[in-house]
Amino acid sequence: MTRFTKDGIDRRILLAGLGAGAIGTLSAPSVLRAQTREIVVGGAASHKPWVDAHVAPIFERKYNAKLTFEGTRSLVNLEKMQKNKDRPYLSVVQMDDPVMILAVREQLLEPITAAKAPNVAKLKPGTIHMEGQWANYLQPWQGIAYNTNVLKEPPASWNDAYDPKFKGRIIIPSLQNTEGLPNLFMASHLATGKPMAEAARDTENGFKKLVSLKPNLLTVYNQMPQAFSLLEQGEAHMIVGALSSFALQRRLDGAPIGLAAPKEGIFPVPSGIAVVKGGPNQDLAFAYVNELLGAEIQAKIAPPTFALPTNVDVPPPPGMPTGVAIHTIDWGFVADNRNDWVRRWDREMSM
Amino acid sequence: MSASAATPAPAGGQKDRVAWLAVPAVGYLAIVYALPLVFLLARSVTGPEGFTLSLFIQFFSDPYSWRVIWNTLRIALLTTLVCLVIGFPVAIAMARAKGLMQVALLVAIILPLSIGVVVKAFAWQIVLRRDGVVSQFLVGTGIWSEPQRLLFTESGLVLGAANVFLPFMILPIYSVVKLIDPRLSEAGATLGASPFYRFRRIFLPLTMPGLVSGIAFVFSMSVSMFVIPSLLIGDRFQMLATLTGRSFLLMRNEALGSTTAVVLLVLAVSIVVASSWLAKRLGGSQ
Repeated sequence: MTRFTKDGIDRRILLAGLGAGAIGTLSAPSVLRAQTREIVVGGAASHKPWVDAHVAPIFERKYNAKLTFEGTRSLVNLEKMQKNKDRPYLSVVQMDDPVMILAVREQLLEPITAAKAPNVAKLKPGTIHMEGQWANYLQPWQGIAYNTNVLKEPPASWNDAYDPKFKGRIIIPSLQNTEGLPNLFMASHLATGKPMAEAARDTENGFKKLVSLKPNLLTVYNQMPQAFSLLEQGEAHMIVGALSSFALQRRLDGAPIGLAAPKEGIFPVPSGIAVVKGGPNQDLAFAYVNELLGAEIQAKIAPPTFALPTNVDVPPPPGMPTGVAIHTIDWGFVADNRNDWVRRWDREMSM
Repeated sequence: MSASAATPAPAGGQKDRVAWLAVPAVGYLAIVYALPLVFLLARSVTGPEGFTLSLFIQFFSDPYSWRVIWNTLRIALLTTLVCLVIGFPVAIAMARAKGLMQVALLVAIILPLSIGVVVKAFAWQIVLRRDGVVSQFLVGTGIWSEPQRLLFTESGLVLGAANVFLPFMILPIYSVVKLIDPRLSEAGATLGASPFYRFRRIFLPLTMPGLVSGIAFVFSMSVSMFVIPSLLIGDRFQMLATLTGRSFLLMRNEALGSTTAVVLLVLAVSIVVASSWLAKRLGGSQ
């Protein structure tokens, strides 16, 4: 007996139908994927709002592709690249320059060339690194974020954070975070009076000065949103070494926050972009990089990120600090010494 | 065939077949837990020239490592103690409650488990700040003359961790207390035993397996917590788990990360094994 119903569907037809259905169901995702190509970009969690708002719509429309942005910390992106080196799933990474140096050393990046991303020809000098291994698409800057309800005048000097009246009210970034490094260099500059380029190499005096900040510390953060939450609540009065891209966005959102550019100067924290070696859809990856280095996207993202554009055709957005020194950081020197600094930091800055 | 051989065979066979039900879980754990552990252990005893214990020697000869171990153990012990002091009476109340009250208490204990640790940590941040509820209460009651800092202190960390882990202390105790026959205590009373004597000699020994399980749960989770200290005390207070995470993620020092992870693992496993042994011993003595 092979018939199952009065309509004449027998067992063979039913089994064939089920088989075809199963194959169709299982293969559907790949079929659907084949229709729209996709790249996964690993970047900072704080980048996601402007990537979703300003970059993804243009990129997806222009290239008929899907863009997935994974937001986390640069070092986590590095870990993802390293652990998936044989079968990378990230196509592009947006990371801090010191982490890019580590990625270059581990041969995880595919160099950006003018042939693959023509907009590199439009970049300012000093924004393409290590023979095109990565390029900077923005330059946010670091100053002192302060609660405007508590401090009516912006801090004039980086030394203000050491004033005993701020006991337990100061937050600084950890050395784990890229934005944590300038405090060490500035502390050395404050302690010795040496020019910044020279002071940055004198970390011995930098650490001695930083230790004197301990009574004033509320905490040392490695999660930026938490630090800003404390600042906005008034529990903290200053974040010393805050990024413009985060601080000024919060101010725009209505938070009682200001960002001071102290008299000793500010630090740019270049945002780098690179193609992952062997990552999926390399042509799309280079196209994405090209877009971020291009004038159209940079003109859109520089104002909301409160950063300097790197494309020569894009003017600096309004509201950028003027008349203060901008200190560049030797990231190669940082990469060579950072682990030793972190060890020392643990021992000398701990509670 | 003798009767003694024939009778137990089906029961034994049934038991063996039932054991197969554990195969998927065992296979899963072998792949995602045991295998990585083996790699971790191997990495901690491997140097450029093969087997070595130099990583452990180096770790234990650094005074800072002892400070981190002490931080880890102290916070885990204090968290466990706070959970025990708060959780034991709650577990008794839950076990003795009836009807809706018992349901309400159970929901109150279990529902917070559905809230993420990060959310809880942010909530504690609001509660513990200078103008938060705790500070206002302490100033209002005259214990503090002025608001003081609780955030990013060890006290704040212990309070926050205890809040997260409290259900894991309450539930094992509750499950044991619920099984204790209340007539035992009543029998003691009829023989003239005081309430304290009945608690110490009847109730407490019977609840001991639940207490030991709760302590083991909370201690092993507290000793290895990572997110809670990261959010509630920050970068200036290192515990073994945070040091392990940093070694792998920031310093990219797998050797140090593996070593600290193994030390942490040994501590946690020792506690679990010791508590199991204690629970069996106490259970057997009743």
